[in-house]
Amino acid sequence: MVTLLIIFKSLIIGALVGFGVGAGAARMFHAPNVQGMGAFRTFGELNACAGDPISHFSFGLGFLFNSWASVVGAGALTQDVDHRILPNWAAAALLWKNKNVEETLHNPKRMAIAGAIIGAVVVTILNSTAAAIPVSMQMVATKVLVPAANWLINPIMPIVFWMAAMDAGRRTGVWGTVLGGLSHLVMGNAVPGIVLGILIGKGVDDSGWDRITKTLVTAVVLLFVLSGFFRGFDAAFLHSINVEVPQWLIDLHKMFGSAVK
Amino acid sequence: MSTLPLQQTRGFWFSEWAFPIFVATLASGIFAGTHLYYVYHIGAFNDIAIVAMLEAGIKGGSYGAAAAFGASFLFARVLEGPLVGILDIGGSLQTGIGIGVPALMLGAGITAPLTSFPLALLTGAVLGYAIGAVIILIRKFTINSSQSTFGADIMMGAGNAAGRYLGPLIIISAIMASIPVGIGATIGGGIFYHYKKPVAGGAIIGAMILGAIFPIAAQ
Repeated sequence: MVTLLIIFKSLIIGALVGFGVGAGAARMFHAPNVQGMGAFRTFGELNACAGDPISHFSFGLGFLFNSWASVVGAGALTQDVDHRILPNWAAAALLWKNKNVEETLHNPKRMAIAGAIIGAVVVTILNSTAAAIPVSMQMVATKVLVPAANWLINPIMPIVFWMAAMDAGRRTGVWGTVLGGLSHLVMGNAVPGIVLGILIGKGVDDSGWDRITKTLVTAVVLLFVLSGFFRGFDAAFLHSINVEVPQWLIDLHKMFGSAVK
Repeated sequence: MSTLPLQQTRGFWFSEWAFPIFVATLASGIFAGTHLYYVYHIGAFNDIAIVAMLEAGIKGGSYGAAAAFGASFLFARVLEGPLVGILDIGGSLQTGIGIGVPALMLGAGITAPLTSFPLALLTGAVLGYAIGAVIILIRKFTINSSQSTFGADIMMGAGNAAGRYLGPLIIISAIMASIPVGIGATIGGGIFYHYKKPVAGGAIIGAMILGAIFPIAAQ
């Protein structure tokens, strides 16, 4: 009975998640004109498979074994289900019949529908089968794919985005470099900062310092200050230059429920 | 990052107002996934280390760590999403809505949204819609009210270029894992490249086949 209930709920959950992931992933290819949803790494990895269904499928499959082991062992599906398996398999399913990425991978409607079907199947299988996972397959994922994907996220993607920002002109290069470095410090990865740098640099190149670009800079400053605070960067920074963290700062962090040393 | 002419990126599926709906469906599923975890101990959409923070609270400890971690990720990603054009679902939804919000609720003694499946779906959907709406609102006041494309072409180029690195990276990683798996990945990548397919796909298949025959030693 419990198993049936889990299967029933997983079908609904998987379809909902797959629908959102599919639509969001396709919309990423039209960002920043259209608001996308996913991750920069998902975007990079989808690009790496270059619209080849076998590559999209095998990339997703590599992570499936890892997620499977994780859900059987600890009940956690891993973030890879939403980041890697669903978008890549939805892409693989669509590309099987039509090799044109603009009509498939880049189309939110088709990706949402394919994502919903694949999501329902994948999430249900992962949640309902406690069958033995081939350990050798799982090792390929953890020992080969995870390090490679981590290298892609850091340092490859920051470098590639950084070079692009610097090649796009001096203003973009300066903003990209400064915000990229700050972003790596505060948020743990430079890519969002470099993208913001390109955004500001190109925005000012195109339309000068108008109301929009000023709002943009204000929002970016706010983002960095608040991200830094909530991730405890302020306290970590004071620590690293051998300055005692003042009690009021510790109390301020406590007020928002986070503990800093 | 679009190569399509403008008129093809219109209509419901590309529209601003549809975005909160997509966030709502995804958040609804993720929150219900946490419901599955709370009730059956299976199906949370996050990594073991992050789920463990929530588990610490469920097991009678404090929900503080999970709540603070989740809420701060959610906050940062919601502000970042509209500016860069991609909402990071790992930080905002999987960690924020899937771990942070449940930890806040459970910490305050509210259990109904996590014990009831329909209520979990509804809670996730409402929260997701609100997040999507906030993001669209921030966009309206920033990048949407200008004629500039804000370097979309540069980002598209960088995104495409970054993807090309994955194939060689997988082969290098496979070689570092073990000799047979490295040989498998190298041959697989070579075959795929010869047939004008992405190196990454062939490298993974080669690594998996050789990895099944000659398992990598677990340390």
